[in-house]
Amino acid sequence: MRRENIPEADKELWRRLAPAGEGAPQPVSELDFAAWLDGRLPEARAAAVEAAVASDPALRRAALELSELLGQPLPAAPSRLEVRARTLVGFEAERRQRRPGLLNWLLAGGRRFIVQRVATLAAAVVVAISGFVLGGGLGASWAKERYGALPDASTLSSGSGDPAEFLGSDGI
Amino acid sequence: MTELNQIDLRALQAGDKRTWDAFVGASAPLINAVVRRSLASYRLSEEDVLDAAQDVYVRLCTNGFRLLKTYDAARASLSTWLAVVARSAAIDHARRRRQPTQPLDEVPEARLAVEDRHVEKLKIPDGLLTNRQILILKYLYDEERDAAEVAKLLNIDAQTVRSTHHKALVRLRAHFQGKDP
Repeated sequence: MRRENIPEADKELWRRLAPAGEGAPQPVSELDFAAWLDGRLPEARAAAVEAAVASDPALRRAALELSELLGQPLPAAPSRLEVRARTLVGFEAERRQRRPGLLNWLLAGGRRFIVQRVATLAAAVVVAISGFVLGGGLGASWAKERYGALPDASTLSSGSGDPAEFLGSDGI
Repeated sequence: MTELNQIDLRALQAGDKRTWDAFVGASAPLINAVVRRSLASYRLSEEDVLDAAQDVYVRLCTNGFRLLKTYDAARASLSTWLAVVARSAAIDHARRRRQPTQPLDEVPEARLAVEDRHVEKLKIPDGLLTNRQILILKYLYDEERDAAEVAKLLNIDAQTVRSTHHKALVRLRAHFQGKDP
């Protein structure tokens, strides 16, 4: 930990003071923060960023870390990182549009239209069920498909018992 | 090898594959360094760190390069902006994984000090110090940084930091004189 040679009396004075500038800092955009780090902001806007940085310990650390890194030579990145990053752009998979699922459709655009979407979905389900029931339901259609090709039971039992008819049907 | 400042931003934002590849090559050392530095206190595995760095690129190109399109070369250098974006993405990534840890000897004493709640703190009146003076005092006292580091951050020389600190203390002493600060 680095220490500036500061008189104890000054440290004591600072300890007696309430944290200055703390409260609800104005949010700082990434571009403004970068411009401030580059020293490119006009004085008034720089002061606003400095107030935000002063009031937020995380921003203070970020500013110091980034200013240290930006001024020094950097080691090469692992080749895996570059290979993986390159695959993100320019491949068919990236160009293909993803088809939204039902849940994505329901939640698309946040919660604003969720009631309308749920109502639409419920109406669709009611219409589908009604159509299904009016059509005879699964049992009737399944039975028709399963037994429709077989001869009717009444036909089997309605034989006349006439031997001539029996022989005739065999072509005799 | 292409430098970051040689990247054709328009082609990059339009999704040109060759420009993207050149951009990745030019930016990977910076993004890798920023992500590693930002995640140092999270004690993540090498795979997690690479995933976090990958997340930065995903963030840049997703939704038709929406984030990249917000970059304005007239306002900040591409490397500084990328460093800010990379740090922010890396910390978001790490927060989804685990809480940061910090060795006790790296924590500034000011943060470890037990606060005496019976002593009423004196409030610095608005306008007594400038934002820059407050920022410098915070770096010197709360973060326990030295003047050279603060000077580098603020693009000023260390002597200016010391004199700003001195002037701020003079104003504080003058204001609180007789108020037993």
